Amino acid sequence: MDLTTSPEQDEIISSSAAFLRDRLPITRIRALFDESSNVDDAAWSGAAELGWFVLGLPEANGGVGFGLADEVHLFREIGRGLATGPFLSTVLAARVAAFGGHAALAEAIGGGQRVGIVIPGSSTLIGADGSLTGPLQLLDCEADGLALAVSPEQAVLVRVSDLTGVTPVACIDPGVRLCRADASGVAPIARVTADVDPVQRRGHVLAAAMLVGINEAVRDLSAEHAKSRVQFDKPIGVNQAIKHPCADMAVRAQLGYAQSIFAAVANDEGREDADYHAISAHLAAGEYADLSAAATVQIMGGMGFTFEHDAHLYCKRAFVLGQLFGGTSTQLGRLLDLPSAR
Amino acid sequence: MDLAFSKEDNDFREEVRTWMTENAPRERRPRDLVAMREFDLAWQRKQYAAGWAGIGWPEQFGGRELPLTQQLIWYEEYARTSLPPIDARFVGLAHAGPTLMVRATPEHQAFHLPKILAGEVVWCQGFSEPEAGSDLASLKTKAIVDGDHLVVTGQKIWTSFGPVADYQELLVRTDFDVPKHKGITWVICDMKSPGIEARAIKTIEGGQEFAEVFYDEVRIPISNVVGGINNGWSVAMSTLSFERGTAFTVSQVQLSTSVERLIEMAKSRKSVNGRPVIEDEALAKKLARARADVAALRSLTYLNISRNARADQPGPEGSMLKLQDADLTKRVFKLALEVLGTRSLANPHEEDDSYWVDRHLLSYSSSIGGGTSEIQRNIIAERVLGLPR
Repeated sequence: MDLTTSPEQDEIISSSAAFLRDRLPITRIRALFDESSNVDDAAWSGAAELGWFVLGLPEANGGVGFGLADEVHLFREIGRGLATGPFLSTVLAARVAAFGGHAALAEAIGGGQRVGIVIPGSSTLIGADGSLTGPLQLLDCEADGLALAVSPEQAVLVRVSDLTGVTPVACIDPGVRLCRADASGVAPIARVTADVDPVQRRGHVLAAAMLVGINEAVRDLSAEHAKSRVQFDKPIGVNQAIKHPCADMAVRAQLGYAQSIFAAVANDEGREDADYHAISAHLAAGEYADLSAAATVQIMGGMGFTFEHDAHLYCKRAFVLGQLFGGTSTQLGRLLDLPSAR
Repeated sequence: MDLAFSKEDNDFREEVRTWMTENAPRERRPRDLVAMREFDLAWQRKQYAAGWAGIGWPEQFGGRELPLTQQLIWYEEYARTSLPPIDARFVGLAHAGPTLMVRATPEHQAFHLPKILAGEVVWCQGFSEPEAGSDLASLKTKAIVDGDHLVVTGQKIWTSFGPVADYQELLVRTDFDVPKHKGITWVICDMKSPGIEARAIKTIEGGQEFAEVFYDEVRIPISNVVGGINNGWSVAMSTLSFERGTAFTVSQVQLSTSVERLIEMAKSRKSVNGRPVIEDEALAKKLARARADVAALRSLTYLNISRNARADQPGPEGSMLKLQDADLTKRVFKLALEVLGTRSLANPHEEDDSYWVDRHLLSYSSSIGGGTSEIQRNIIAERVLGLPR
């Protein structure tokens, strides 16, 4: 038993953090808010060249062959950097293509073809044959592109052009592109069941990793502000009313990180309680990031309420990530229905 | 990264599990303090006889000096019994003993450490005072040098097992004229010395482990001073490096077991409205949330132990475990009362439900004892995040 990072993981952390800092700094991400696409094409291609979209895919399928525990460290940095673009769904889609027997598509996705994700509504269904039906929402999808739809049992890829009534609507998160759409028995172009590859489980863990990155980012923002902001002739961080929420952010960040890597390793080692830990990771990291981001707005004071400050961007991204794979309420129900952890 | 234990570790787990199943006391732990002392010491003697005493202690002091992962396994298996995480053996094994190992003379070590391991003595802690709680260094219990003795007068409080302890790790002020951290002395106090009076303090769940201890010109040989006169603060802090992440394992595993039992209870019992408790959606969500949070706490334990196994000095992350363990303990046992519903009104000790009421009341202490949660938050903010004091 050892949950410390390997030299390879340390390398993933430092190289991905450096890439995001250089190629997708927050200034660039903010500039993308006003453009039609939230993706920086050059940065996206650069990420593809670095193998980000096939990092966890086996070498036999054209991937880098790393584990989910390695991908966690990449997605933690993506979350921390508030990187825009469908990173999570593209990585999962590459698996659906590869394990669904569509090697050429998997290669194209690994090479930079983007795939957005379906946010199912209360009456959205993925049928036993993988066909998609019902009103739904789309995150970061392109009109001529693909969308990933996931349930606990299976994951499918559909063409956005096969959906009807695709209508852009503003998203709560300015870094995310949202559409409403309808599907009536849309046949998938690729499909994989959870017993072949547990796509939703991996999605839970990677969403959790992004939420951990967000939690760590707001922790650091708050701590920095607590040290530098002077009121009543003292840094505000001397006050326990500021200090203690900052400490809570640090604890939540560690807890979320610990559970995310535990869940990832549980998956990589094929433990029978892997789903339990993956859902726990998503739920825990989601709540922790939510609480920490909200507390950061408060610690920043009036500045925290402005669009100019980044605090709200973390709140909003945390909220969006919490809605993935069924949303909080559904995840709580699923977790309660599972057998106890080992 | 891996979660798998080695074959050696798995064999070790089997060995511990078998031994625990066959040897852990099954009878209810007595509530009477003297009987409780005997119960706890008998349990220690049983462990000692079987070679399980001092699993984390160095071999040179008679311990097993097990690697951290095996200590973790030991505590995980220990937690499967319903024995409390902390009992009358705690101060000797986890605080006074380790302090003596790093700071005391070979004579003191040779006299005291074997007695602690063999379950012959109970140690208590004489740190807190009515006016020195979180600000421990402001303690005022006075010790005057008189020949080869210290003469101690003052008062200590929150001394668990004080009335039935044999020895005490006692902090006294030997110099009032220097900055507060510099005039403190750590001394071994024989609790049977004339002039000591330990009075029980009844706690909110009806327990009687707590005591306040009064010292009226108590004469303690100067040879009992550990680490030298006025060096007591650094002696008291020396155990910080001994704790390497396993301290809350028993509590955290038992918390997880409690959540699972509560889920079972919520499924099998009915609310006043006649429907299964679990159908209360708000309550069901809290139980699910507790599962996720307990899982995260366990993962943090594993992460901490992994890091400490590779580090010379444990980091301040231990404060994070303590803080979260306290918050979650309070939340889970409050949740237990929600599952019990109106049945939680009765507190008869012989009934099973009273376990939950008891644990709920006890849980209030989790964020106070051993350093309040407020102090843990200060430590985390200052040492981890670098916030100003």
